[in-house]
Amino acid sequence: MSTAFGAAPTIRADGPPTWLTSRWTQALLVLAALLAGFAVLRGEHAFPALPEPFQIGPFFDRVYDWVVANRNTSPLFLYGFNYLSVGLGSAVILVNQVLTLLTWPGVTVLGTFTAWRVAGPRTAALVLAAFAVFGLTGLWSEAMTTLALIITSVLLALLIGIPLGILAGRNEGFDAAIRPVLNFLQIMPAFAYLMPMLLLFGIGNPAAAVATTVYAFPPAVRITALAIRNVDKGAVEATTSLGSTSWQLLTKVQLPLARRTIMLGVNQTIMLAVSMVVIASVIGAGGLGDAIYQALNKVNVGQAFEAGLAIVLMAIALDRVTAAAGNREYASGGSPVPRLAMTAAAVLAAVAASVLARLAGVADWPREWTLSAAGPINAFNDAVQDLFGDATAAVGEFLLGWVLDPLRTLLTDSPWWLVLLAAAALGLVLGGWRTALVAGLSLLGTGLLGVWGLSMDTLSQVLVAALVTVALGVVVGVLAARGDTFSRILRPILDAMQTLPPFVYLIPAVALFGIGRVPALAAAVVFALPPVIRLVEDGIRGVPPESVEATTSLGSTSWQLLTKVRLPLARSSILLAVNQGIMMVLAMVVIGALVGAGALGYGVVFGLAQNQLGLGLTSGLAIVCLGVLLDRLTQSAARRTG
Amino acid sequence: MTSQATETTERHPSNGDAKIAVRHLWKIFGGNADSVLGTENQSMDRDAIRERTGCTVAVRDVSFDVAPGEVFVVMGLSGSGKSTLVRCLTRLIEPTSGKVVLDGADIGQADPQELRELRRHKIAMVFQHFGLLPNRKIIDNVAYGLEVRGMSRADRYARAREMIDMVGLSGSENSRPGQLSGGMQQRVGLARALAVRPEVLLFDEPFSALDPLIRRDMQNEVCRLQRELDVTAVFITHDLSEALKLGDRIAIMRDGELIQVGTPEELVGRPADDYVRDFVSDVSRTDVLTVSWLMRAPAGDEPLDGPVTAPTTVVRDVVPQLARGTAPVRVVDGDRLLGVVGRTDVLRVIAEDQSEGDSGSAASGAGASTEG
Repeated sequence: MSTAFGAAPTIRADGPPTWLTSRWTQALLVLAALLAGFAVLRGEHAFPALPEPFQIGPFFDRVYDWVVANRNTSPLFLYGFNYLSVGLGSAVILVNQVLTLLTWPGVTVLGTFTAWRVAGPRTAALVLAAFAVFGLTGLWSEAMTTLALIITSVLLALLIGIPLGILAGRNEGFDAAIRPVLNFLQIMPAFAYLMPMLLLFGIGNPAAAVATTVYAFPPAVRITALAIRNVDKGAVEATTSLGSTSWQLLTKVQLPLARRTIMLGVNQTIMLAVSMVVIASVIGAGGLGDAIYQALNKVNVGQAFEAGLAIVLMAIALDRVTAAAGNREYASGGSPVPRLAMTAAAVLAAVAASVLARLAGVADWPREWTLSAAGPINAFNDAVQDLFGDATAAVGEFLLGWVLDPLRTLLTDSPWWLVLLAAAALGLVLGGWRTALVAGLSLLGTGLLGVWGLSMDTLSQVLVAALVTVALGVVVGVLAARGDTFSRILRPILDAMQTLPPFVYLIPAVALFGIGRVPALAAAVVFALPPVIRLVEDGIRGVPPESVEATTSLGSTSWQLLTKVRLPLARSSILLAVNQGIMMVLAMVVIGALVGAGALGYGVVFGLAQNQLGLGLTSGLAIVCLGVLLDRLTQSAARRTG
Repeated sequence: MTSQATETTERHPSNGDAKIAVRHLWKIFGGNADSVLGTENQSMDRDAIRERTGCTVAVRDVSFDVAPGEVFVVMGLSGSGKSTLVRCLTRLIEPTSGKVVLDGADIGQADPQELRELRRHKIAMVFQHFGLLPNRKIIDNVAYGLEVRGMSRADRYARAREMIDMVGLSGSENSRPGQLSGGMQQRVGLARALAVRPEVLLFDEPFSALDPLIRRDMQNEVCRLQRELDVTAVFITHDLSEALKLGDRIAIMRDGELIQVGTPEELVGRPADDYVRDFVSDVSRTDVLTVSWLMRAPAGDEPLDGPVTAPTTVVRDVVPQLARGTAPVRVVDGDRLLGVVGRTDVLRVIAEDQSEGDSGSAASGAGASTEG
């Protein structure tokens, strides 16, 4: 099993590479074997059902039944989760009440003022615009519900995450202990968090708050630990040599010096919380996410767009403010007295604004001030549909009939053991026996969970979406790497795209392709594109200029330069981009189900919505299995060439 | 302990009134130091020990005394263990075995509280990369040691200002470290160490990161402050000229061991082995050796009417006197005649300087030693 000639097409090895030892040829052979097997054994050997006591879905269903039966009697719930649930619910309500009490002018004044002090006038204008959009679209109270949920979960996540991070940063043993837990939490798809929360807390805000907290706290721990560990060793040693106690070292040296990095963690936590809060609308968290969800259900693109715009602005505003808070230089810190005065002034101004609003009788955003864009957008959407409808429909039908369906048939109708062997063989070719083992086991896992068919359906969609993403990403990335102007234009767009919660990508996809697997695929592609473009561009820009110069001096055309020098040398970045692209596409599986992608995603959504824990959890775990499979295959491909 | 260790003790007999006494200090990095200490591995060389046990011996059976008010320089190439050694003195790095005694008290026995008090009041350290806090103003950096002691803001600021003046940084109190040049930052580091009024100052290659002109300024500054404040200093450096300039005594370190401890003259005049000889080979002997190193009893027929000089005069400075007349220079302490230095004695030293690499150690045969 030699893969020594893996790099043969680009770098001349000693002898001519025999085509049999090239691992891409071998991978093709594996696919050919799969196709042949499919042709012969089509429709036979479906994954056998396990005997009843070993089925996993029904087991989870029994757990669910037990919880429902005992929720009001078991001490675990009576004195544990129920208290927590009530406490969290009250916290969210409390924050929401404060926001309501302040009224919209008060909140706007406070928010804009804070943004101005922390991040300067431009961000303040952005924040002001965001608040204006909340009001004008008539979504003010939804926006405040979402904001309250974000504030509560972020505070909770930081309250847990930062101390844990400090501990992990100062104590190697604790760090080693907590690391696998964080790894596990971070590879779980967002939706997988919802299920157990729903079970323990029931539908509503407490479950959403806990799910969001659990989803958002790992980066706070990681980045805080990293920040503490990266504090200048010299400063720590010098202050130790002056006799600091451990507490003095932490408060006077480590925390102040780690502050900027920790703020980066806070920023990450907030962004994760924003995307989770939107997703949590599926388990009854109200607010903007729910507005999008409802609008998408009714295929009302205009309404979905409004709510989407509101959440996008909220995400970007939160991102800019917290990013700026982290970037502030030490020197501009100023003395504490004026800062205190400023804070007091801001609070006073906010209170004054809210009192004035009450006196003027506009404590709630006046109905007549709303400016619904839903109508015009829907009209515009219809016009677009009329204009491009045929084209998009054709594209959709082509994808469905010629790509998605055949691949799905291939995967679902082949004998299960053949698919499994093919995956293992691919693992062997790309990585080695270890990868082969993991690939085989993870596919076997989906079968044991009892969702083999759904998994194959999802796998086919993910593969197609990943292929499209990578193709587009490489083209755009190459263009961006070679055109500075294009890159400059692209950069802020990618920045903005990466701050958006994945939910939002469904809106344009639905607008163009309606409902079904194709819009889900389009949304996944758009969601996964930014990191792919980034990595490809960075990889190509990272090619040593000497290599380019040398080959140019030998008279290469620019196409030769690209195919013979730039792409091969950027290979490891590109393979990493493939890996990232696939993982991002996979993260969209459940979200795509909201617009009709079906398969595993639908299992999760349906399970959540209908309280079918068995279906929901097995589908969620199967997604994790597919994630492990694809991650291992692509990562080992990247490593072998590195 | 071992025979080797005893030998070391004999070489450096314990001095009752030493400020710092280090005895059989070992620092072994790696999981199982026990597999080195007290076994036959102990006497193997560093690479062999690493191969056998996976441990790195950074400091190996080091013993020395530092007298009150003395500047003791530890000098060696990078990786010789000198930085580890100085950190072991205040247990910034915990020694594997051995004793560090400060004013008769074993630092190794101090509990965390006592150790902190020691660091807050008695020993301060200056670091190669300064170790300043970039988020604090200069005055708050200088006052840090006082702050962690719990001194009031007004008091510590007053003291910090005094120190900032002393190192010549007046006016920079409210700057931040990032706004200062490297030399100025090291002055801040020095002021911070001095602010706690330490009895012992430890310097870990403090000037290696500075450019040569500033380095010379800082060396003079340290000489001045050390004299003025009368502190005991342990100074780590890899720069021989710096060691010769600052050190009352110099210890040469290689692979974790002290090879030779002595005055600059002793190192230059009587190197313990080829390693040290190689080290000091570029040093001009006439600049380092004093007349007391060369002087001998006058021969019977020598005229005793030559010029007089003090025993601390370096050889270079008696060359003009010898050039003027044929009589040897008389070395006197007050009225007492200690010995004489003649033309041939000086010429021999000059000849040695010129024939570098020649292994003949003529200097060691030249007259009586004035040790002790």
